[in-house]
Amino acid sequence: MDFELTEDQETIRKAVAGLLRDFDDRYWMEKDRDHAFPEEFYAAVADGGWLGITIPEEYGGHGLGITEATLLLEEVARSGGGMNAASAIHMSIFGMHPVVVHGSDELKRRTLPRIARGDLHVCFGVTEPGAGLDTTSITTYARRAGDHYVVSGRKVWISKALESEKILLLTRTAKRDEVEKPTDGMTLFLTDLDRDRVDIRPIPKMGRNAVSSNEVFIDDLRVPVEDRVGEEGQGFRYLLDGLNPERMLIAAEALGIGRVALDRAVRYGREREVFGRPIGMNQGIQFPLADALAHLDAAELVLRKATWLYDQGRPCGREANTAKYLCADAGFTAADRALQTHGGMGYSEEYPVARFFREARLMLIAPVSQEMVLNYLGSHTLGLPRSY
Amino acid sequence: MERDEFTLVRDMLRAFATRFRSGSADDVKAQTRTDAQRALDELGLSGLRRTSPPAATVQECALLAEEHGRQPLTTSLLGTALLAPELLRLLDLGERAEPVHGDRPTVALAGDLRFPDRDAVGLVAWDCDGADTALFVHAEGRVTEHELGTPAPTADLLRGVRRASAEGRPVGRLTPGAHQRWQAYALVVVASELVGAARSFVEQSVDYARERHQYGQPIGSFQAVQHQLADATVLVEACTSATRYAAWCLDSETPGRALTAARVAKAEVNSSAVEAVYAGMQVFGGIAQTWEHVAHLYLRRVLVGATTLATTADLLTVLAAPEATR
Ligand SMILES: Cc1cc2nc3c(=O)[nH]c(=O)nc-3n(C[C@H](O)[C@H](O)[C@H](O)COP(=O)(O)OP(=O)(O)OC[C@H]3O[C@@H](n4cnc5c(N)ncnc54)[C@H](O)[C@@H]3O)c2cc1C
Repeated sequence: MDFELTEDQETIRKAVAGLLRDFDDRYWMEKDRDHAFPEEFYAAVADGGWLGITIPEEYGGHGLGITEATLLLEEVARSGGGMNAASAIHMSIFGMHPVVVHGSDELKRRTLPRIARGDLHVCFGVTEPGAGLDTTSITTYARRAGDHYVVSGRKVWISKALESEKILLLTRTAKRDEVEKPTDGMTLFLTDLDRDRVDIRPIPKMGRNAVSSNEVFIDDLRVPVEDRVGEEGQGFRYLLDGLNPERMLIAAEALGIGRVALDRAVRYGREREVFGRPIGMNQGIQFPLADALAHLDAAELVLRKATWLYDQGRPCGREANTAKYLCADAGFTAADRALQTHGGMGYSEEYPVARFFREARLMLIAPVSQEMVLNYLGSHTLGLPRSY
Repeated sequence: MERDEFTLVRDMLRAFATRFRSGSADDVKAQTRTDAQRALDELGLSGLRRTSPPAATVQECALLAEEHGRQPLTTSLLGTALLAPELLRLLDLGERAEPVHGDRPTVALAGDLRFPDRDAVGLVAWDCDGADTALFVHAEGRVTEHELGTPAPTADLLRGVRRASAEGRPVGRLTPGAHQRWQAYALVVVASELVGAARSFVEQSVDYARERHQYGQPIGSFQAVQHQLADATVLVEACTSATRYAAWCLDSETPGRALTAARVAKAEVNSSAVEAVYAGMQVFGGIAQTWEHVAHLYLRRVLVGATTLATTADLLTVLAAPEATR
């Protein structure tokens, strides 16, 4: 067994941490408060050449694995940018995976180098008002009309749609009751968010406000056939390929938030004096933080194992799901404890822990809820009958 | 009962309990069991719920069950003094067919100690020290009387449990309302005893945290210990309130509402009493892991108690159902 990161991986960590040092608490507090996309941060990451970390070299990326991608996003979240920072670049880091694996060469040449350079923002459109975790009940429909499709429907929660030029869009090309399996008949596109045909409205939300999440109303959007990813009717299967790495990335982001929240709590616990001594001297403060540390460390190990398995080309569903579950839980718990440690100040926006708390809560729900992870482990790993 | 009268009864029970408590598992012997039961019988508590109107309210009986639960006792207060007499009283209100043969019956339960479903097998006579027969309430309300057999295995070292004969003599049938009342009452009485056990054990661990010194100071001065005990106290208060409220409902509300309150109370007790005893055991450290210590007597009582009559899963399932179908 070897628990050491490689030299290159260690370099990634240090370089990213160094790059982001200038984006301090005030920067993120203001972006979050003003609902402003973190352009400067995005530019710094793009200029550093990090956006194309997993994009194949022939398309202008570095062709690195998920281990490196998770280290990057963990460090980004840990820098204090939390989910505002991670979500701003999340789609670029690994979201193009279905295109990389299943897209036509032409589509890849048209889009991937721009992603790697940073001048193409993309969002991911799956969720609909009537289809949350139950993805196959989406109804957004793409009708074939000669050399293009005409798409209509409604998406919800689409992060970064406001800032994006393109959308990776999941549609139905055959209705659910017309196909043999509910997973059949779904088609994936990477296409322009033509503002004449698409209405985008931000959803007021509890946190991570530097990056919008939106309702997207699509009305007869023309999508050229060349924008289709892979074959018609196979879209769901293409997404499945990306599920495990997606879970690992989210896990890494949750872990990063948990780490930074804990760091801040420890700092405050040392500095703040009440009843004539640092509050961190109380077991009531110290133990919950020590407990949070233990849970973060344990969760991190599962994450590392999951990414290692994936990069080795080995099955990793169990580990990917477990990593998401444990990291989301440990990250949120750490943020919650950090808030408690700060007492009343934890509730003020002067300290970043309230922001971490709001952001860490998200990973218990999206992109896959803790309950669905347990469904996976219960039925796929333990072999119990599927409960739903 | 008048207040003074009840205080007197409770003090008598308390004095009895202090005298006959088991100081350790090794104290639990056939002779000491018999002596203790005889002493309890002499208090004459089986008359409290035998007449209509009863001499004592359900709330008073629940407090006595709590008192009994506070000490590690082998005696049957619940089965023979509180439960069987109430069952006979409820039967008198409906179709009472035949007189019972036993002088001192207890109650019988399904083999897994739960309320029976339609095809319950392997009946056991529960809490049967001092009992000569056992009354069994079938799922549909029919009541039969059963002979006692050989001792049945149980993890609760204090509680007397015996196999009961498969065939029983018909005694009568509870009306639907009386059946609900019976179930509610049984849940409340059993829950109360567990509440008493948890409360007393947490109090004992608080005392221990004051006396036991490590690193030159009482372990109770460590916040981690203090907080565990504070949490345990909150749990005990939660299950006490839920149980006492259910007892009040039996005295004041319709049987349906009382049954709902009793189910809530038992579900709360099933988790809170066990959690509270876990916390207490943690505070006792290594000594609580020894055979001589009373900790395991309490732990066994609450663990078995949490599955007696109704498990949390049983209760939450009915409580989650729409009210009309319960
Ligand atoms: C800030 C934010 C950003 C997002 N960004 C995007 C995005 O960019 N693109 C996108 O496509 N989507 C996005 N989403 C949507 C996200 O993926 C969904 O919210 C998530 O999949 C949950 O779906 P839902 O909200 O419809 O919950 P539902 O599916 O309605 O679930 C509600 C509750 O029921 C539980 N539940 C459901 N089914 C079961 C079951 N079978 N067993 C047990 N429990 C169950 C769930 O765990 C949950 O607790 C985002 C969401 C948020 C909040």
